[in-house]
Formats: sequence, C-alpha cells, structure tokens
Amino acid sequence: MTKLIIAQLILFIVISPAISGLITKVKNNIRMRKGQSILQPYYNLMKLFLKGEVVSETASWIFRVTPFVVLSSTLAAALLIPVFILPASAKYLGDLLAMVFIFSLGRFFMALSGLDTGSSFGGMGSSREMFISSLVEPVVCMAALSISLQFGSTSTSAFSGMHTVSVGAIIAAASLYLVALAETSRIPIDNQETHLELTMIHEAMALEYSGKSLALIELASYIKQMIWFFLIAAIIFPINAPAHGGLAQTILWLSWYVGRIIIIAVTVALIEVLVAKMRLFRVADYLGFAFVLAIISTIFAILGV
Amino acid sequence: MDSSGIISEIKKSLPYFSAKTVAEVRPDEIYLHITPEMFKDACLALHKMLSSPVMALYAIDERKAKHIYVVNCIFLDASKGQWIIVSIDVPEKEPCFESLSKDIHSASLFEREVWEMFGVEPKGHPDLRRLRLHDEVWPEGNYPLRKDFGKVEVGKLSEYKFNKVEGEGVFEVPVGPVHAGIIAPGHFRFSVAGEPIINLEARLGFIHRGIEKLFEGKSCLAALRIAERVCGNSGFAHSLAFARAVEKIVGITSSKQTEYPRAIFLELERMYNHISDIGTMAMDVSFSFPAAGASIIKEAILQLNDELTGSRYLRKVNDIGRVLTNLDDNKKDLLRGNISKIMADFKEVVKILNSSVSFMDRVDGTGLLRKKTAEDLGVVGLGARASGIAVDLRKSFPGVYQEVNLRIVKDEKGDALARLKVRVSEFEESARLILELLDKVDSSERDDFEFKGKAGEAIGYAEGWRGAVLYMVKTDSTGLIERCKIVDPSFHNWPALTYAVLDNIIPDFPLCNKSFNLSYPGNDL
Repeated sequence: MTKLIIAQLILFIVISPAISGLITKVKNNIRMRKGQSILQPYYNLMKLFLKGEVVSETASWIFRVTPFVVLSSTLAAALLIPVFILPASAKYLGDLLAMVFIFSLGRFFMALSGLDTGSSFGGMGSSREMFISSLVEPVVCMAALSISLQFGSTSTSAFSGMHTVSVGAIIAAASLYLVALAETSRIPIDNQETHLELTMIHEAMALEYSGKSLALIELASYIKQMIWFFLIAAIIFPINAPAHGGLAQTILWLSWYVGRIIIIAVTVALIEVLVAKMRLFRVADYLGFAFVLAIISTIFAILGV
Repeated sequence: MDSSGIISEIKKSLPYFSAKTVAEVRPDEIYLHITPEMFKDACLALHKMLSSPVMALYAIDERKAKHIYVVNCIFLDASKGQWIIVSIDVPEKEPCFESLSKDIHSASLFEREVWEMFGVEPKGHPDLRRLRLHDEVWPEGNYPLRKDFGKVEVGKLSEYKFNKVEGEGVFEVPVGPVHAGIIAPGHFRFSVAGEPIINLEARLGFIHRGIEKLFEGKSCLAALRIAERVCGNSGFAHSLAFARAVEKIVGITSSKQTEYPRAIFLELERMYNHISDIGTMAMDVSFSFPAAGASIIKEAILQLNDELTGSRYLRKVNDIGRVLTNLDDNKKDLLRGNISKIMADFKEVVKILNSSVSFMDRVDGTGLLRKKTAEDLGVVGLGARASGIAVDLRKSFPGVYQEVNLRIVKDEKGDALARLKVRVSEFEESARLILELLDKVDSSERDDFEFKGKAGEAIGYAEGWRGAVLYMVKTDSTGLIERCKIVDPSFHNWPALTYAVLDNIIPDFPLCNKSFNLSYPGNDL
C-alpha cells in the first residue's frame, strides 16, 4: 500500500506541469498564436534545475528554506485528496480543512521570503497575498461545511468515490472553483504571464528567486493547481474505478478520469483569455461572491436538495 | 493678428509694454524682442491673453558675437495659427533672468533645462534640480550646450534629492530605472500609504544622448536623418517638424503634391501607434485576446509602411522640400486595400473592448487628469484632448488638412477610458483622412530642386501622434546648424502622469502610464 501511495504521489508530480502547459497552449491558440509546446513547463523546470542561484546578500535563512517548505507542504496537501487511491493514513490525519491550513504554512513562508530580501516588489506581493488569503480561507471553510453536511464527513475520502451530484455540491464546487482561480494566481485575480511587477501578487514574492529554488516554487504551484482541479473534479464529476471491467471499459474510465481534469483546465484557459484582470480591491467583492455561494450551498445541504 | 495688433492687446493689460524690435519674418511667426525687466510681465500677459502654455523656452549661446545669451519663450495662438516668440538678451557677465515658473507652471521644466544646459539662472525658480545631467555622474559647473564646452570638467558630485512624503504608514517604492519588458529607462519613486499612491516623482534623463549638441555644426540634410531618430515611434513627425523649420529658413514652399503624402505618412504613424497603445492598454489589465488582435493590426500597418516606403518606421521617407517616396497608382491601390482590411479588423477589436465589462471597469475613472491640471501643466496633444482641451496643430495650421475637413476628437473626462476613446476615434479619423488625401495625390507632379543652406531662424512643427513636435532651428551663414531646440510632446506631458496617478492604487500605475505612453528618448534628448 505504501508503495502504491508513493507511486501515486510521483505520478501526480510528474503530470502536474503538463496541466499548466495545456492551459498556456489553449490560451495561445485562442489568441491566434501557435504557442509553446505543452511540454514547455518541463523544459523550464529542467533549465532551472541545471542553473546556479543568485541570492541577495541581505537574505536570511528564511529565504533559503522557503522553497522546501512550500514544496513539502504542497506535497503533504496532495496526500489528502483523492487521486486514484486515498491513503488510509491520510483518512484519519487530515481533511479538507487541514489541506487549507497546510497550504497556509507554505503561503506564510512565501510571504516572509517576499519581505526578506527587502526588494520593492516582494513586500507588495506579500501584503497582497495575505489580503487575498484572509478572504480565501473563510470561503473554503464554509464550502467544507457544506460538503461535510452532504457527505457526512469533511474528509475527502467521503466524496472520492461514486455519488450522486446534488445541487448543493455543484454550488459548493463553483465557490471552490472561484477560490481555485485565486489560489493558482490566475486571471481575474492575478496574472502569471505579466512582466509588470507592480501588478503582480504571487510572482512578486517569487521575483528574487532563481535557479533550483525557483524550480521548486514553480513545481509547487503546478502541484497546487492539480490539487484544486482534482478536488473540484471529485465533487462535480464523481467517478469510481470499474471493479472488474474489460480493457475497453478501463480505457473508457481512464479517459474520462483525465478528461474531466482537462475540461476544468480548458475553462480556466478560456476565463484567462476572455476576462480582464480585476482591480485589486475588487478581489474582495469576487471572493465575497464565492463566500455567498458557499453559504447557499450549505443551505441547500441542510435542506437536503 | 499682425504684430501691431498683438502689441496693442498686450498693452491693454500691461500699459508700459514696449518692444525693442518687432519682427514678423513669416506670417506664422512673430518675434517680440524686449528688455529682460519686462520679460515676466509680458509672458504672463501673453499667457493669459492666448491661454497658451509655454510651448518652449530655450536659450541660444551668442556670447562669441554679442556677449549675450538669447532666451526665447514661445506661445501659441491656436485659433489664429501663430507662434509668438518673446525674446530677451541675457548678458554674459550676469547670466540670469526672472523666472516665470511661479506664475506659469508650464515654464518650470524649460527653465530647469536652460539652467542645467547653459548655466543661465532663472531667478526665483523654486526647484533647480537638474533633469538630464544626473548629479551622480555630471559634476557641477558643466554646461554642455554652451559653445565653449569641450569636455567634462572635474567637479563636485552630489546625490539627487527626491521629494519626501513622511507620515505614519507611508512607504516609498522605488521602481526602475531598468524595467521589465523592452522599454527605455526611467525611475519612478512612489510614496504610498498601503496601495494608494500619494505622491509620484519621475526621474528621467537616463538616455540623454546630447542630441541638441549633436545637431550643431551639421548640415541640414545630415541633421534631418538625426531628427527622425530622436524618438523611434515618432520618426516621421520629428523629421517633418525639422524639415518645415529648414524649409522656412531657406524659403522653400513645398507644393501640395509634397504635403499630401506627408500628411498620409503622418497619419499612418498615428495609426500604428494608436492601435499599439490600445492593445497594450488591454494587455496591462491582462485582457490578452483583444491585445493579440491589436498587435496583428499594428504589424499589418508596419508591413504596409515597409511596402510603401521601404521602412517599417517611415525613416528616409521625408526630405527637405520633398518626399522621397513616390505614391504611384500601385501603391495607392495597395494603401486603399489595406486600410479597408485594417478597419474591418479594428472594428472587431474595439467591439470586444467596448463590450467587456471587466475591461471597462478597469479603465473607467482610472488615471484622471482634470482639465484645470492639464491646462496648468501645459499638456499637449492626445493627453490634452482627452481632458477636454481641443488643441491640435493640424487645426491651427491646417495646410492640406483644410481640404479634408479634419475633425478634432476630444473627450471631457480625462481618464484612461477617455484617452482610449480619443485614440479609437483618431484612428478612424486618420483612416478617413488617408483615403481622402490619397485621391488628391498625383504622383507625376513632384518637387525637385537643389538644396542650398542659408542663415536664418525658424520654428518647425508637426502634430505627431502624442502631440505637438517643435523644432526651433537657427542656422549660420554657411547654412550649418547653430542651434536646434527640440520639444517632444512627452516633455510637456510627463508631469501630467505624476498628477494623474494620484489616488490610484499601485497596480493601476502601468495602465495609467500606458494610457499616456510617453516617450523616454523624446524627453531625455
């Protein structure tokens, strides 16, 4: 079992950059461009891993430790969500709420490292990230409440298998989707593609990083994005492994398994191209809307719709 | 109005006014040579009378011949199409004159420039920090535009002092001079309380190349090629302004068959820059789909330029008294066909922008420049028109534009959306002008003559896409350039940006900045 869990985690890490590559590819095609290969994130990671690092003289140990904290906390969160099999240990160790606060650990260190080097942009990024996360966390907690009412547990194992999709679950998933856009620094909250430091949020904190440390941070963001996509997919596209199906059935199951993640990725790409980024303080309205959705889904859950 | 009319007008508010000499060399230039004591009052009277900002204020070193510096201050009579030049002699021994800045804000930067380049002091100027000769590298006491300036003398170096805002929770955010992306250098010092900007100071001059000094001693034909490289994306406007100044000096009146193609190329330059800015404004709020559309249109116009003239940025197209590119029938058809294709694409892009709520929310009300502020700062061109000031040199000095009924586009609001709207309407207007002017072009008639230099002094001007480009050219008896003062619209408009961003939040700065899109090289010279 342990071996399977490790194999699953490694598979998760290996696939995650491709999702980002796919989103970029779709965006570029919509914008009438050929676009880079879907594999480009892998090339970037490889390039960064082979490079040396430049570290500011004023940086403390926090700056050096942060990439490891961010990556390991993200991996820990990845163990808590249903991919193929849910680790038995994780069932009792953590749930949806635990996942949110494990993410917070990484975010806390990221924000500290943004301030650490004393550059003009890092601190701006940190303060904005904290502003947004203070609004994100209540939304996720409320959505978790709604889900736990519907499935009887906040543990992600409760909704990892086949279940009927209720209206409440769809609304909860919608509010988590809005949160996911904010958490993965996508438009309309943040823009991963921009070169304008003054507008950055997540990228501003990571500006001082280079080489291997940057590669770790980037990898962590790819994985974080996968976690959110899998979580949302598990709620609105429930799926169960065929108990003893033939080859054809397994292929069908597998393609739907991957297909639902691709569907979510493509919708993210569409939003990124067709919507302008919000003015920073509008993010409060946006996440406020997500919070209202979470409350509505809770009401539906209580009513049992 | 002729010169006597102007003098009697001035006398109404300034009874003791008298000019030493009055010269009306050309119908559009009136020189009032007055005593230094009267300078401030006369300028103030003209400023109020014409409601014109100081369009240029510059010095000429004439110590060799007359032991004086000449200081000229230029106003524009926009309704009558006249330049009024107030000229004073500043003695070599006591190089100072009374500053206008406290009464006419638009004179401030020009006076600082005169001080740093000539060492002629505007007495009473509240802020004489240097603009382009940075204190960290240029020792004090070096005045490079003086004629006897040879090499940099060793002297005291110091540090530039930024204006400070102090208080609880106020932070300074330094940005630049090196920016992300491929743009020129400039330093921005923000004072912020959280995200809102409470002060912005722009420190420019990092790409000061000594262009005005470079002009000196050059023949007019050689200098024309420098002029079109002063500011990359306004190359044609600069070459046109310079060429007009030289044409006035040597007494050439270019024929209409020269002026039609010139107007066409000037409008093409306006078009590719306007669509580029519309695209980058969308890009800066991460609205990448219309931005991609805009960059396709920009590239189409640049390729059209290339096919018409052999240069994507319209270089080596203009010449003194003539245009080197012959718009024959093939090229006319090419231009017509492309313009209609471009306009179809353009309408699509504008439709997407106008119908996007998320985009409108970002540009509406952002970077507000009030009309009063714009007037006080002497903002020109597009920035002024978007704040409700309808000035356009194409209207004041119509030339061939008279035949096609130029419509001035203006907007009252003064925010980023207003500047976007003005760009959109000007783009459409330019396309119309090009098509109408094209019908009048007859490629068989072309100006051709041998150019011969002459001594003289004149103002050349063109309404580039950012605004008025001015060239004040003075030549010596051999026809070589003695002094050339360049005023790019960016020099007037940079201070406007620092006012427009106030009360906006830092992440909106790139949008405010792009809605003006001012030039660094044009400002730094």
